[in-house]
Amino acid sequence: MSRNLLPVATGRDTTRLLAQHFRRRPAAVTLAVLGFLTTGAAGIVAPRALGEIVDVVQTGAERGGGEASDLAGPVIAIVIASVVGAIAAAVAVAALAQATIPVLAELRETVLDRALHLDAGRLEEAGTGDVMARVGDDVRTVTDSLDEAVPLLLTSLMAIAFTAGGLFALDWRLGLAGLLAVPGYVGALRWYLPRSGPVYRAERIAQGERAESLMATLEHAPTIRAFSRETQAVGEIERTSSDARGLAIKTFWMLMRYGARTNRAECIGVLIILVAGFLMVRGDVVTIGAATAAALYFHRLFNPIGGVLNVFDDVQSSGASLTRLAGVALLPAHDERSEPLAGEARLELLGVGHEWEPGTPVLHEVDLVVEPGERVAIVGASGAGKSTVASIASGITTPTSGRTLLAGRPIDELGPGTVRHHVAVVSQEVHVLTGTLRDNLTLAAPDASDEDLVSALEVVAAARWVAALPDRLDTRVGSFGHALTSAQAQQLALARIVLRDPAVVVLDEATAEAGSAGARELEVAAANVVRGRTAIVIAHRLTQAQTADRVVVMDHGRIVELGTHDELVAAGGRYATLWNAWSGV
Amino acid sequence: MVTGASKGRVAPRSTRRILFGPVSRNRRLVLSGTPLIVLWQLCEALVPVMIGVTIDVGIETGALGPFALACAGIVVVFLCLSYGYRFGALFLMRALQDESHRIRVEVAEKAVEPVDDPRLAGEWLSLATADAEKVAALVFQLAFTAASIVTVLATAVYLARTDVTLALVILLGLPVTVAITQIVSPAIARRTSREQAAIARVAGIAGDLIAGIRPLKGIGAETTASGRYREASRAARHSSIVTARSWGYMSGLTTLVSGLFLALVALLAGGRAIDGELSLGELVAIVGLTQFLAEPIKLLGDLSAQFAASRASAQRLHDALAAGSHVLDGPERLPDGAPREVRFDGVTAGPLVGVDLTCSPGRLVAITTDGPESADAVVALLEGTVRPVTGSVRLGGVDLQQLDRADRRGALLVVPHAATPPEGTVRAAIDPDARLDETELDAVLTASASHDVVDAHPDGLDHAVRIGGSSLSGGQRQRLTIARSLAVAPPVLVLRDPTTAIDAVTEQQIALGLRTRRDAGTATLVVTSSPTLLAAADTVVWIRDGRVVASGTHHDLQDDPAYREDVLR
Repeated sequence: MSRNLLPVATGRDTTRLLAQHFRRRPAAVTLAVLGFLTTGAAGIVAPRALGEIVDVVQTGAERGGGEASDLAGPVIAIVIASVVGAIAAAVAVAALAQATIPVLAELRETVLDRALHLDAGRLEEAGTGDVMARVGDDVRTVTDSLDEAVPLLLTSLMAIAFTAGGLFALDWRLGLAGLLAVPGYVGALRWYLPRSGPVYRAERIAQGERAESLMATLEHAPTIRAFSRETQAVGEIERTSSDARGLAIKTFWMLMRYGARTNRAECIGVLIILVAGFLMVRGDVVTIGAATAAALYFHRLFNPIGGVLNVFDDVQSSGASLTRLAGVALLPAHDERSEPLAGEARLELLGVGHEWEPGTPVLHEVDLVVEPGERVAIVGASGAGKSTVASIASGITTPTSGRTLLAGRPIDELGPGTVRHHVAVVSQEVHVLTGTLRDNLTLAAPDASDEDLVSALEVVAAARWVAALPDRLDTRVGSFGHALTSAQAQQLALARIVLRDPAVVVLDEATAEAGSAGARELEVAAANVVRGRTAIVIAHRLTQAQTADRVVVMDHGRIVELGTHDELVAAGGRYATLWNAWSGV
Repeated sequence: MVTGASKGRVAPRSTRRILFGPVSRNRRLVLSGTPLIVLWQLCEALVPVMIGVTIDVGIETGALGPFALACAGIVVVFLCLSYGYRFGALFLMRALQDESHRIRVEVAEKAVEPVDDPRLAGEWLSLATADAEKVAALVFQLAFTAASIVTVLATAVYLARTDVTLALVILLGLPVTVAITQIVSPAIARRTSREQAAIARVAGIAGDLIAGIRPLKGIGAETTASGRYREASRAARHSSIVTARSWGYMSGLTTLVSGLFLALVALLAGGRAIDGELSLGELVAIVGLTQFLAEPIKLLGDLSAQFAASRASAQRLHDALAAGSHVLDGPERLPDGAPREVRFDGVTAGPLVGVDLTCSPGRLVAITTDGPESADAVVALLEGTVRPVTGSVRLGGVDLQQLDRADRRGALLVVPHAATPPEGTVRAAIDPDARLDETELDAVLTASASHDVVDAHPDGLDHAVRIGGSSLSGGQRQRLTIARSLAVAPPVLVLRDPTTAIDAVTEQQIALGLRTRRDAGTATLVVTSSPTLLAAADTVVWIRDGRVVASGTHHDLQDDPAYREDVLR
């Protein structure tokens, strides 16, 4: 099933974003680069020193006996180089981590931040797994490859520069012969790059699907167990995991074929150097020593060149991940500014119509004015458009036609920060965040004191059971903690509204999930919460309609009745039918 | 929690078995991949030797024939190393991928069970991806360890031909150098383990926040929530940096040790060459080989640290996989002729005291309680997640705790209140295995009042349902859940507050639908306080303060003011 995944950035935008991030850490970046360059340089000392030892032996043999003390210089050079290299390596690895890990952590934080600020529907369309794979798998891929690629690239470049320079210093013709190997390497790259990019991207998407299927099963495990669908759920995970496995093997095989082409280039290079050496020694153009050194130098280039070529692979692989991270991270930042309302919190829906999907209107010409401090209940069969009205009234959804005004101003002109500050919604989805009770409450008001929390709990009639908990506000709730009933969880949600203290509240069947016994308590809590606020209460529990200032009855996306409870019951229309079904048993 | 007799359940594997499972299960791939990797590494070592040979027999002599032959030798070495690595690594990669896949599925199987030691979904995800791959990576680690050791030994043997002392230095020096790198390995393992746990926590929090996205948005708490994630991410970032630092120490240490080792060999070999005990060509070969040895030495150091990290992952996997889970399963089968009925005989459990009740085929029984705790307890007893302290819960005459799992599941469906439809189409949400024909499906839709849900969209039954039914309203979701439960057509159906988000008129249709099912012989038990459903039931069992205070029809019970208070809207 193809999902509407979250955006992926272009290579250019990704690069720009990364550059911005790394520019903020000049010290760590510089230290890492210098460290690895030093390691690279220190790594070249040993072969040079060994070359000197060969020279010492050779000249010693020509002179008829050398001195063992001649070895001291080169050997000491090796020792010093390894000490310097070791320190540089340790420092560089740590500095690299100091430079890259925070960048990736910030990236994943931004990705999650942008994802949380996305429209909930858009996020659900992409799937939880899409976000989870980005902040998980993708960050891991990039971290792993940066850990390898950066040291490899820097030490390799250093080694290549010195070694190639050494090759030319021996004899320019031998140097030129070495250059003849370059087309082989370039060919390998030109074969690999266009092929691997798409496969890596496909692999990342498959990993997202895999995360999606895992998350789907994990989040819905109770239902899966109840309906004995474990086999099917695990089967789906098996399928997506197997797809990801197939692609991982495919990308790996491509990498191996790339490696084989590199090997071919190496082999050809060595042979060219040897043939050149053979001919030049025969022609007495160079010495045997020079030819030997040239071949050994070239051999010394294998690893650095392989390293640089591998970096291209890392760029391909982590690039596929980075563009996915950047795609979400580069989504526009949300406007957090909040301004006071210009007037009283009157909420007006004027000629509002809406289509979630083009061609399927769910609301037609809805006109509804909720006066400041008024409590309006919306009732109707499920699917009548109540929740859509709630979503539009709370500014979450922009209607396809008509206007929504808050305190006389179009709601979409107020800016999301202002709207979220003044309008709060309690939906029927109950979610207790894993953490303490306090964590759950302070979501709405990060700076609230314990007294504030307790008094909010009192408003929603939850203070008593919270006080009875072993650790009170510090009691762990959610996945591993103390299990809360749906009614308790919803009380917490209502307490958050008290803490948030908005002028407008939309309760979308906020008391539905509790079962009747709990629902009555919740209704009291809800009534306390909306008191003094402009409120829209979506309710199928008609006791809530009964106590509302006005009742709106919706059917098939239209307002069909509007009035007080008593008026509507007396009118004997649709509401009267509902009321009789509700109370008449 | 201990339940039933554990039957045929595999004992949890030890960390060791989790760690080495990937190798022992993939003997063929490992046994064909490892020698090829060894071949590759040996050939890599042979390249400088072959260069030396070519110089000796070709360039120095100027003889074309031997030169060409040596060049051909180089080509052969390259072919071996290239193909050796290509296929060796491919075989190992297959083993790695198969194993991480296998562990992933194993983790998933565990995660759908009711595990005693719960984890956030994101943490399971992290176990199933990051840790699974770390453990499976052992196949590569072993192959490269083997290749490194064999190459070092081969080098020593080759050197022994020219110089025994040098060979001994290399043979003895290697374990010493590797041992030195072990100073850092335990720290790496410890820190990696902490890092992995922190990363799993970050994933857990991300999943938790995304799961609660709608309530979060309702109070505009996105930014605060994002701040919570940032906090956890910062903690994980710190532990990643600390881990990286110890890798830095490892890298420095291996650089130092292999460098000193090289200096020692250079000193010894150089001295011997000056003394004329080694020819120039031999010196070049020895020097080339020793330089090359830096690689396997460095690799061995890294491998030991990687192995420690794999072991940490295996430990985490073991902790998760070995956690107890109360899968209810027993030895007894359902007798063929026994009526599929549910019976509580004097059940005391949690808030319940001596509860008796029966729901027989063809009956619609409602249970109403004064608070959610008793209702929870009734459902948990039927699910088998709670066992009675005294008394018994029986299905078809067999104690539920002793009943075979498949028999129980075939006869009894307990639908949780917060059931969520799966992702797919509306049709798949109701009838995932497509077992119903159009008439049966129509009957299910009617009984659950779901025709409206289907007609709400032009695609009808083929309309896509998002995961968890997030694109549906609460009432639509509940109706689809009822439809799905009816489509399963279990002999005994238990529903918990199935209509809390459904309006009264629609609820009446559903009550009617449940009565139709009853007439078809289903034993239906509804835990509810909805007067509409209670009125539709043949018998209402009224539980107050944990005891059955009365049972009878809703109509008769209504005379009691206390009952009216419990079920009043």
